[in-house]
Amino acid sequence: MEGTFKKETNTIGAHFSLRQWGSYNIAIWDTAGEEKFCGLSAFYCRGAGAAIFAYDVTSEDSFHTLRARFKTLLQDADKDCLVVVVATKVDLLPSHARAVSQDDALILTRELNSAPLEQLPYFETSSLNGQNVVKVFEYIFNQKLSHQNLEEQNRTVRSSTVDLRSSSRSSSSKCRC
Amino acid sequence: MSVKAFDLIPALERLKIRCIECWGTNLYLGTEDAFIFHYILEETVKNGSVTFRGEKCSHRHLPAKKPVLQLKAASALDRMLVLCDGVISILHLSTLEPISGATKIKNVALFSLNENPLESSPFSVEIVVALKKKNVLIFTVTEDKMMLKKEISTQEPALALAVDGAHVCVALQSQYKIGNFETGHVQELFPYDREQVNPVVIRISQEEFLLSAPGALGMFTAASGISQRPPLQWSANLIHVVYTHPYILALNDEFITVHSILDQQQKQTLPFMGGRCLGEFDGRLVVTTASDVYILAPVAIEKQIEALLADFRVSEALSLAQNARKTGLSKEQFVKMFRQIQLKAAFIEFSQMHFEEAFKLFHEGKLDVRELISLYPRLIPASSEFVRSIPPLHEIADINQLARGDRVKVQEFKDFLLRYLEGVRGTPRGMNHALEIDTALLKLYAESGRSQLVTLISSDNACDATECATCLEKQGRHHALALWYYHRGNQEMALRIWSRLTDLELLWKYVDWTLERSEEDGVKIFMQHPKRKVESDRMKPENIVKHISRFPKALVAYLEFLIFTQKSQKETFHTHLAVLYTDQVTGHLKDTNKEQLVKAREKLSYLLRESDLYQVQLLLGEKIRDTELYPECAILYGKLAEHEKALDILVTKLHDFSAAEAYCITASQGKDMACRKHIFLLLLSIYLKPGDE
Ligand SMILES: Nc1nc2c(ncn2[C@@H]2O[C@H](COP(=O)(O)OP(=O)(O)OP(=O)(O)O)[C@@H](O)[C@H]2O)c(=O)[nH]1
Ligand SMILES: [Mg+2]
Repeated sequence: MEGTFKKETNTIGAHFSLRQWGSYNIAIWDTAGEEKFCGLSAFYCRGAGAAIFAYDVTSEDSFHTLRARFKTLLQDADKDCLVVVVATKVDLLPSHARAVSQDDALILTRELNSAPLEQLPYFETSSLNGQNVVKVFEYIFNQKLSHQNLEEQNRTVRSSTVDLRSSSRSSSSKCRC
Repeated sequence: MSVKAFDLIPALERLKIRCIECWGTNLYLGTEDAFIFHYILEETVKNGSVTFRGEKCSHRHLPAKKPVLQLKAASALDRMLVLCDGVISILHLSTLEPISGATKIKNVALFSLNENPLESSPFSVEIVVALKKKNVLIFTVTEDKMMLKKEISTQEPALALAVDGAHVCVALQSQYKIGNFETGHVQELFPYDREQVNPVVIRISQEEFLLSAPGALGMFTAASGISQRPPLQWSANLIHVVYTHPYILALNDEFITVHSILDQQQKQTLPFMGGRCLGEFDGRLVVTTASDVYILAPVAIEKQIEALLADFRVSEALSLAQNARKTGLSKEQFVKMFRQIQLKAAFIEFSQMHFEEAFKLFHEGKLDVRELISLYPRLIPASSEFVRSIPPLHEIADINQLARGDRVKVQEFKDFLLRYLEGVRGTPRGMNHALEIDTALLKLYAESGRSQLVTLISSDNACDATECATCLEKQGRHHALALWYYHRGNQEMALRIWSRLTDLELLWKYVDWTLERSEEDGVKIFMQHPKRKVESDRMKPENIVKHISRFPKALVAYLEFLIFTQKSQKETFHTHLAVLYTDQVTGHLKDTNKEQLVKAREKLSYLLRESDLYQVQLLLGEKIRDTELYPECAILYGKLAEHEKALDILVTKLHDFSAAEAYCITASQGKDMACRKHIFLLLLSIYLKPGDE
């Protein structure tokens, strides 16, 4: 949420932060990608109003992992949970080959969002240089919060981010979501 | 890094411990071989250190000859619940004898007391029982009865459970679930693998549980099935967990780890081999191996905070302090204690140059600002009564020690103080220490040459008089020093300093400023300004005259100074002064009280007579000829050597014959006889002229 961040350590279990967006309290979970935490990630997604599915744009594996897991992860999220698909590490694209096409990402995005949306929630970001990072969150807050009526004003909107990047450090055999 | 939150103290030794229970000073041990032992714990404090001793008072051997799995005292009912061989039975608390005819519950895997019962009554307690089959039941227990109230099916046998109100959180064979006795609803939480995770569930508070999860995580979950706290990271082989605010203690086969629920971070690790049971009983923490019992004695919260602060772990210390409300302090005591910690923390942040944090904490801790000022050498005035707080809030000698001779750092420290003092000045808290605040501000401004110096001096302030004057002098802030005197009513001193100002910009600025307050005072700045060999253009008398022309009194005084003191030979000054004098006389002509007029005329005629440098024609033509200023007019004609006209005025207008004769003498002084004769003849001819009358 700071725009850019660089974290070198794997997330264990989950990280949590609370943010203020106008009069709203926003609870954000950053859940672990490793397979052994998959069950926990689904738990953290319970009741989530929005989820960010992030994969590494230079790794086909990370995208496939995401495809394979999204059902489990989203089973207890809100019925109209907004699922934002995010391709990360686009800063690497000049030197690395793109492993996941925009079309494939958009198809998945459409599949994940049952509610009709003006624009498919798909973003290409880099947490190295901050490209589009703030936009992702703003998009979510605007989508989820602007249409709410007054009685819901004080409700805490829970959103979960499910990080599906495969770490550059981890071997490709290790399935991470 | 760690903080010592608990000490491990041996209490007694006993073999084959399976479970523990404690209330007050009573300690009960259930053993693998069906014994229940009752001890009284004796706590002695010697030289500040605590020792425990267990005095055995009774024991009982259960007929089942199976391990005693759980003990739970219901002290209000004088009963003990015991789980052994799959049966919960009720015993006398004091004798541990069975109650004849009391209910038993069979096929029990485990049970737990509901600390937040659905129906609270002094004559009963509530327990939740997991049967070996596939259901969880809630019972009301009285002195001799256990009555089933509600039931939930879990489909699998439970391995661990905790209860809060209507909510029961259970570990099943491969997943955790949370059930509600009132609605019958059961919700899945998350899966786990028994091979890797020893299931543990404890109640944290109302509607919140803590569960052991894959990856040795401690997962918090609310009764609604969602989580609102990040997980804890434990180690493998977890045996049991207890919560005693704000700490969560986890026992595994080698350690007891202590995490804070506030930041989820690990705070302490106690090596503890072969741990078996860990229990929390109204704040008392008991831990056992298979044969020994230890008490975990909390280290006083103050000591923990001190230790954290000593490690520069400020936010942890503050968070711990904030949550120390439980320790039996009154509200005022707490506030006082907390502020003290905030201030200690603030000085730590300060010493690390974390100025934002320090500022906030100083403010919130309601710092006596003199504590801060006193860290800066020579800022506290000698007249201050301040002494540093005892016990001390910090161990800082002064900022030089902190900056270690780094000039840039010293400046940053000073800038911080300035900002803080400016913030606190004028607030009610600042008022109490106005002397120290204002003096420090003045000294800092003087040193850095900030423009606020003048503002401070020119407004009400409580600065120490002698120290501030000395400081301004030493820093060469002459103008400020002048202002300082001026505002303390010492105009003389102020003007003397101003007139010596070498900074002409400033001098000019303050000339106007003083002229507007007092023309006579202001002009003295020029009159006292030391003459230099090379005078700047601005300080040339012409320019000064021009500059002060809108202040008539100052102008007159200055011209007089030029002409009579400096003996200036400039025609324009003489003419100018003569014109001004004439205007003054004209201005007083109609006065009824003639005193002013007389004085003004004396001055005018003195100048007209004594000076030969003014433009006589100009004065005569423009100012005097057609007025009734006859004596002055006569002097002017005299200057022009128009003796006839002069004498004519003296005789016909003023009828002052002696003046006329005196005129002849003066006019012919130093001249030859012919000239004198000529003048006297002129006088004679005027006398002889036929007059008006
Ligand atoms: N070049 C580049 N590297 C990135 C970017 N985002 C993350 N990384 C690197 O990728 C590695 C993993 O990033 P994390 O954000 O920790 O990945 P994660 O998905 O949260 O990992 P888990 O928490 O274990 O699930 C780190 O070494 C990051 O520095 C990016 O946008 N560009
Ligand atoms: Mg992560």
